[in-house]
Amino acid sequence: MRRRSLTLRQLLSFLLSIAAAAPLLGALPSSPAAQKTALHLDGTPADPFLAASGKPVVLIFVHTDCPISNRYAPLIQRIGSEYGAKIGLWLVYPNKTSTAEKIRQHDREYGYKLAALRDPQHALVTQAQVQVTPEAAVFDANRHLLYHGRIDDLYQDFGRARPAATTHELDDAIQAALSGKTPPPNTPGVGCYIADLE
Amino acid sequence: MTSSGRTIVAWLLGFSSATAAAFATHDGATERPSMPTAQHATFNRDIAPIFFRYCAPCHRPDEAGPFPLLTYRDAKAHARQIAAVVSKRFMPPWLPEPQELRFADELRLSDEQIALIQKWAEQGAVEGVPADLPAAPQFVPGWQIGRPDEIIEAAKPYTLPAGGSDMYWNFIFRTPVDRTRWLRAIEIRPGDKRVVHHANILVDRNQSARRMEAEPRAGFPGMELKIESETFDPDSHFFFWKPGTVPRPEPEGMSVRLDKDTDLVLNIHLQPSGKAEKIHPNLGLYFTDKPATHFPVLLQLENDRQLDIPPDEKHFLVTDEFTLPVDVDLLAIYPHAHYLGKDLQALATLPDGSAKTLIHIPQWNLNWQAVYRYADPVSLPKGTTISMRYTYDNSSENLANPNNPPRRVVAGNRSSDEMAHLWLQVLPRASSDTAFDPRMLLQETMARHNLEKDPADFEAHYNLAAMLQTRGAEAEAIQNFELAVRLRPQDATANNALGASLLAAGRIGEAIPYLHAALRAQPDNFDAHYNLASALVSQDRFLEAIEHYRAAIRLHPDDANAEANLGGALAETGKLSEAKLHLQRALRIDPHHQLALENLEQINRDPKNLQQ
Repeated sequence: MRRRSLTLRQLLSFLLSIAAAAPLLGALPSSPAAQKTALHLDGTPADPFLAASGKPVVLIFVHTDCPISNRYAPLIQRIGSEYGAKIGLWLVYPNKTSTAEKIRQHDREYGYKLAALRDPQHALVTQAQVQVTPEAAVFDANRHLLYHGRIDDLYQDFGRARPAATTHELDDAIQAALSGKTPPPNTPGVGCYIADLE
Repeated sequence: MTSSGRTIVAWLLGFSSATAAAFATHDGATERPSMPTAQHATFNRDIAPIFFRYCAPCHRPDEAGPFPLLTYRDAKAHARQIAAVVSKRFMPPWLPEPQELRFADELRLSDEQIALIQKWAEQGAVEGVPADLPAAPQFVPGWQIGRPDEIIEAAKPYTLPAGGSDMYWNFIFRTPVDRTRWLRAIEIRPGDKRVVHHANILVDRNQSARRMEAEPRAGFPGMELKIESETFDPDSHFFFWKPGTVPRPEPEGMSVRLDKDTDLVLNIHLQPSGKAEKIHPNLGLYFTDKPATHFPVLLQLENDRQLDIPPDEKHFLVTDEFTLPVDVDLLAIYPHAHYLGKDLQALATLPDGSAKTLIHIPQWNLNWQAVYRYADPVSLPKGTTISMRYTYDNSSENLANPNNPPRRVVAGNRSSDEMAHLWLQVLPRASSDTAFDPRMLLQETMARHNLEKDPADFEAHYNLAAMLQTRGAEAEAIQNFELAVRLRPQDATANNALGASLLAAGRIGEAIPYLHAALRAQPDNFDAHYNLASALVSQDRFLEAIEHYRAAIRLHPDDANAEANLGGALAETGKLSEAKLHLQRALRIDPHHQLALENLEQINRDPKNLQQ
């Protein structure tokens, strides 16, 4: 029963706006058996919102063997470096079979210097409402989901890529989170289905 | 799961609403029946045969696919993805529409196969019973057609940057032959297959691409190459690699000539992967002792001159038509455009009026360009008209448009320029008249066709002249060489050819200025030195001739003709001992050199008379 109520609250938190979300999440049941949670690479539970302590939170969902996701590595790293301590930015690996070791190796290969989380139970996936890798979610300092979806418009479909992106949704959403301006509309990404990664 | 409505829609399209509704209200992961019923598509029975044949050649370790598709686990972990990409026909990559003339190794899934894959994914990616699983596909590890006779490595690897747009790089392979050899196959190992989209080998018999290298063996960037050939060299083969390619030996009798000092230029199309990648290709050469007995020809239809595409034009048409002067068998076809190409089509209209689609690509995608071989040679009789019909989309609706906003685009070698090319590999039918070479007539007709399209086509004038010269049509040959020189007065090759053809016609005085012009343009042109020396000898200007023979020998120290002629010229000026030295050198290079033998014999027999 508790499990069921958790799911409902998580869903509610997407529907309710702004301040309501934080208290709801704050009241989550604490039983470890019941709680879906993301993990640090060392296996301990991770709460990016707590760690960001009042700063906007940016989650970028990636996958080790997704070519489109990997192609974004230089851009994702650049965004991480650009905003630095102004935001809390995490790479999130939603695949159950991506072990911490595999993720560390992947981060080394692709030059990622960002904090990485595992999300095998899809706690963050659900919260961020993302569908594919690579997609991003931007939360404001009140844990309100401002934007979720593609990083930019480089890809319109599988195999249909532009020479260079012409819109930059993730960047715009981070700017919005920092300045209080209107975020861009949620736009789905093109990539690898997270639903496959059960 | 329940929140992934967008995903579900993507692969349920085309299915009955009853099925969709049933699925949308159930959680496939938890309510999937443990045993498949007759209505369930299963991996073992229905899906594995498709995946093993169409997907596994690339989706296995060390190949181009980003993940393997060899087991149920592999497949289940990508089931929705696979259903989506096959329904959009993004995978397997196969651009041509189905047509009557079949291609070898077609990678196109049928609508039924796609529906089956969708149904399987939608029903929860059921495994099925073990007895249904076909044998796993067997792949040859390493070199695909056995250990090569020679393996050549790129001298210097190329490092592809982590990000950015597509990149084109060329590696020049020096070939390890000290005499003419025959190849039955080349296997291209392009380097990291996950970032190489395609690779193409061009045979460079004149080492002309080396001029593009900033430093020797460094390789050079560039999408399109122009390889100069100074000799009529019509035996032509495609050497093409794309993901999943298994090299096939050339057909019986169609081995490929590889001369000493021939370079193989490997042109590679790369797409950054997100991390820097070191690309270090190598080539496996497979020799045969059987020289070629059948000589295919590459015919090129093109109309780059028509390419002047205004911005925002969505449907720009480019055409070319060529009527075959001889009977041929069409073996393979290679359509080529850049990023604005949209609909690429080639048709053959036979003399009886019937038409055959040779290829139709309704949604061109440069990333998946390929050489397509026909399953069986296509017989095209003399009088068949081949037409190329390409359309281009220069609007911003074309995502691949390299310009944002769109701007005027014309033909060119850069990826932001365009091209309208169609290559056909044809094998002319053997003629009962052994003196008649159908390849020459094909090339001559092609050169005349190109001149109709563009009277100022330098190469067409040059090639036409070279072929006319070969078949003894001297006057028309000279006329076309003259037109070529008029178009490019600074071109060493054309000036030399004009000089040589005038020389052959006995018009020595007229030849000499062109040979001098060739040397002004290119002081190290062996042929021009040699021809000029021969012209000067004809005018008894031996001292000048000797200088040019010497220059020629400095460039090619192992040329028996140059040594023999230098010997002759020296003898004419009375320098008998030096003359003997060079005649002997000529004979060391070629012990049967007739001129050297005769001159040496004359010097030995009658030295006094000669000295006067």
